[in-house]
Amino acid sequence: MTTLDQKPASSEGRKDPWSQMLQKVGKHQDREAYHALFEHFGPQIKYYAMANGLASHAEELVQEVFVSIWRRSCLYDWRKAAASTWIFTIARNQRIDMLRKMQRTSAEMPVETEDLWQIPGDNENEPVTSLHRLMSERRIRASLSHLPEEQITVIAKVYMENKSHQMVADELNIPLGTVKSRVRLALNKLKVILQDQNV
Amino acid sequence: MTRHHPDSLSLMEYSAGNLSEPHALCIRLHLDKCSHCRSRVDTLDSLGAVMMEHQPKVSVSESMFDSILSKIDSEPTDETVAAPAPRVGALQKLLGEDLNSLPWKRQLGDVSVLDITDRFPGQKEQVVLQKLAAGGKAPAHTHRGEETTIVLQGAFADQKGVFNQWDFVVLNDEDEHKPVAVGCEDCITLSVLSAPVKLTGTFTRMLNPFIR
Repeated sequence: MTTLDQKPASSEGRKDPWSQMLQKVGKHQDREAYHALFEHFGPQIKYYAMANGLASHAEELVQEVFVSIWRRSCLYDWRKAAASTWIFTIARNQRIDMLRKMQRTSAEMPVETEDLWQIPGDNENEPVTSLHRLMSERRIRASLSHLPEEQITVIAKVYMENKSHQMVADELNIPLGTVKSRVRLALNKLKVILQDQNV
Repeated sequence: MTRHHPDSLSLMEYSAGNLSEPHALCIRLHLDKCSHCRSRVDTLDSLGAVMMEHQPKVSVSESMFDSILSKIDSEPTDETVAAPAPRVGALQKLLGEDLNSLPWKRQLGDVSVLDITDRFPGQKEQVVLQKLAAGGKAPAHTHRGEETTIVLQGAFADQKGVFNQWDFVVLNDEDEHKPVAVGCEDCITLSVLSAPVKLTGTFTRMLNPFIR
């Protein structure tokens, strides 16, 4: 189910084209750029909803995410996150939000989704470390194709199907320790784990 | 065992949006004060974006875009450009400004607790605030199941080190420790217990996460 076709790296240069378009939406309410973002990210978000069990709400999620992109685009800062990373976190938060609202009333939610899950750049006190952030996305895209399929499968289940490590272990019928070691190996190669202290 | 910072696996579950609300709260409180872990999560968020990009393509209809446009057009424009109101953090929303004035329940000696599980309806975990009076000691104890703790105020020390404000600790049943509040402030922690334990009557003392 995972396709790893190598696409042309879209984040060449300091600012990738999607980040430029998102910035146009934020600064000038540019609808052409907004439409281009919809054509590129809309299908990804729809698939995301379908993969994690929200198939009957897939279109609703895409709409919620895009309305949220429009509303928040004025806060988007390309130096803090690439557009795709920023949009992923909005899709993730809208999914969580949708599930929370299905399960309870707003009176039962003293804390909002965004109080728990942060959108990069929302905290204005955050230092700008653009190079590191844009590099990391490019690096991940490049090195993902070198990972063994079994590691990618586990990561895809965690990110796309929103399964905990334990659920992935149960589904693949392998020990939890094996799932964790696959994730660690992958994160190691993706250099995410670099600064871990006790692993 | 995680000491001081969450491990990459927990941060990944956070980035993927798979953690329960109380666990996400612990991570978020830590991230707000730890740029080191913040940048690890940024990288993991990018991994999420790249994973999303690598999935099979499905189609979206133009009519969907039209309904998005009519949605944004029906909103007042000032809302779209207005800067967000100053953020009140999750902790203040849940507990107010002053942690010390909460309705603490005194336990043994230097330890007070407050169960705030009911602030997280529908979640499986037990969520407990614990306060160790400045200079106070908690009796030696082990942990049942897995306990995730973040220090909200002050600091405590055990045989493995000193845990300061916003430090993150995960303990399980193999960890026996004997925490002491260090510094001149009471030490207040927020703990999420994986096993659903109910604090009731005379068992409170035995089941209290600090003293078991």
